[in-house]
Amino acid sequence: MKARVSTEWLSGCSGCHVAIVDLHEKLLNLVDDVEFVRVPVLMDEKGYPKADVGIVEGAVRSEHDRHALEKMRESCGKLLAFGTCASYGGPSGIGWLYGRDAILAKAYGGNVSDAKGSKVPGGASKLEESVIPIDEVVKIDRYLPGCPPHPYFIAIAIRDLLGVESIPLSPKTVCSECGRRMQKTEGAKLSKGEVSANDPDTCFLSQGVVCLGSVTLDRCKAQCPNKGVACAGCAGPSVDLIREPHLDIRSMVAKRMAMLTGIPEQEIRDYIQGDAKTFYSYALSSPVMYGKPTVELREWAAEAAK
Amino acid sequence: MIDIRIDDDACVGCSLCVEVCPTKVFEFDEKKARPVVKKPKECFGCLSCSEICPATAIVHEGVVHSENHYYDPGAVELSQKTADEAGGINFPDDAGIRRLAVGDLGIRLLSVASVFRQTLGGSLPAVGTMAGRTLATHLPRYHVPADFKEALAMVVEQLAPTWDLEASYDGAESLKITAGTCFIRDLCRREGLELGGDLCVLFYNYLAGYLAKLSGVRLKLEKTSPGDTCAYEIKVIRKE
Repeated sequence: MKARVSTEWLSGCSGCHVAIVDLHEKLLNLVDDVEFVRVPVLMDEKGYPKADVGIVEGAVRSEHDRHALEKMRESCGKLLAFGTCASYGGPSGIGWLYGRDAILAKAYGGNVSDAKGSKVPGGASKLEESVIPIDEVVKIDRYLPGCPPHPYFIAIAIRDLLGVESIPLSPKTVCSECGRRMQKTEGAKLSKGEVSANDPDTCFLSQGVVCLGSVTLDRCKAQCPNKGVACAGCAGPSVDLIREPHLDIRSMVAKRMAMLTGIPEQEIRDYIQGDAKTFYSYALSSPVMYGKPTVELREWAAEAAK
Repeated sequence: MIDIRIDDDACVGCSLCVEVCPTKVFEFDEKKARPVVKKPKECFGCLSCSEICPATAIVHEGVVHSENHYYDPGAVELSQKTADEAGGINFPDDAGIRRLAVGDLGIRLLSVASVFRQTLGGSLPAVGTMAGRTLATHLPRYHVPADFKEALAMVVEQLAPTWDLEASYDGAESLKITAGTCFIRDLCRREGLELGGDLCVLFYNYLAGYLAKLSGVRLKLEKTSPGDTCAYEIKVIRKE
């Protein structure tokens, strides 16, 4: 008998659903073993049919999301938090810095495109106070962060959920898959996100470019740094960062870069502080980051906005 | 002995572990561009290398994690006593675990409170209030309640199971909170201490500070009466 798989799309971008298609020919093997009973981007299924495996993309942003998630939990045997939004809240977790009322006021009041200076449209589902990762609402059996996760990991996760085989996922960071050579350099200047003027074989940190590879879980096979783009931390914090309360993204990046380039650590911290909300963004609304200096983040964001 | 293993595939050859190790356990193999464990016996498990490693490539086996960074003979003796009372260290039931945990934690808290009293004197309540306010600031944003009533309901919901907490608020000025269970009371009775001591003062003000910061309302602790049912009254001063 084919295993029944149901998917749901909450507050996310559908990128994770599209990533399933990235399985390419592996998908064909999958289709042989699996019957998709509910896929919001492909079929018009309003209800929540019973399924063995549920795949949930996106975080809980509104009351509708919460309702849909609870329905998924009821109808599915095993539930997978698929992608960073589902696991940690994702980029929309930045809303945590401002609160619901401030966001609604900004979006619906005094906007250039908002001719009537109107209110929130009636009938829209009520927003939660902030974005919440789905495990704050229901019990989750497996997590697969990544934005989206690399097909390699998706295949492993799905095979595990279907009970075919269980391969333990690596707890290593993006650096472990990165082909660049991390080495000591002299005379590097601090910069952010530049793609050009880089030595393609040398680590970004060695060249003074802020890269989050060393503090990010590898669920991407280091695609960005290997192609010349510094890591943005999209798969969420590394295991070390989650486990150790005294480690955080900013200080660990600064520490390593200071040792590699000789630039004073405090200078690097100050330099990356203004952009801190984008660094923390992928896991900002998740409890794994509560112990981190996310409270100061509001002040950093305000300073940077000046 | 601690077993250090380096995953050469994951390692990026940055040599930071060689640099940070205080006992020079590693040497860098220039040919392979990978670190090598040369003096494993020297490792005392500080895990600096594991922390700095950008690729999480270093794993230690056989490290004993220490839970306390200080040793307090009095506290150890008392926790041992509580452990014995709870029927040894095998945690026979929930009540046993609770008594053990409460005894251990409580003794520490009692000493902290008395140190605060000795060093800060009359400022002791302010320490409790500040701690409560700090907790409220550290809460995630979506837990911030709209008004005082909601804040109170939230706090009571959180604490009710542990403390048998009940609160009555008349909507005007007076707020009355009662706690049916209290580990400080149990502890004080067992150790023959007077109720309503320094630790109680800290806890009263802690809760008041937490409530005040959550709701944005000024609160003043009015009257406390520790006993079988610990009751205390808080005056609610509206924000101007």
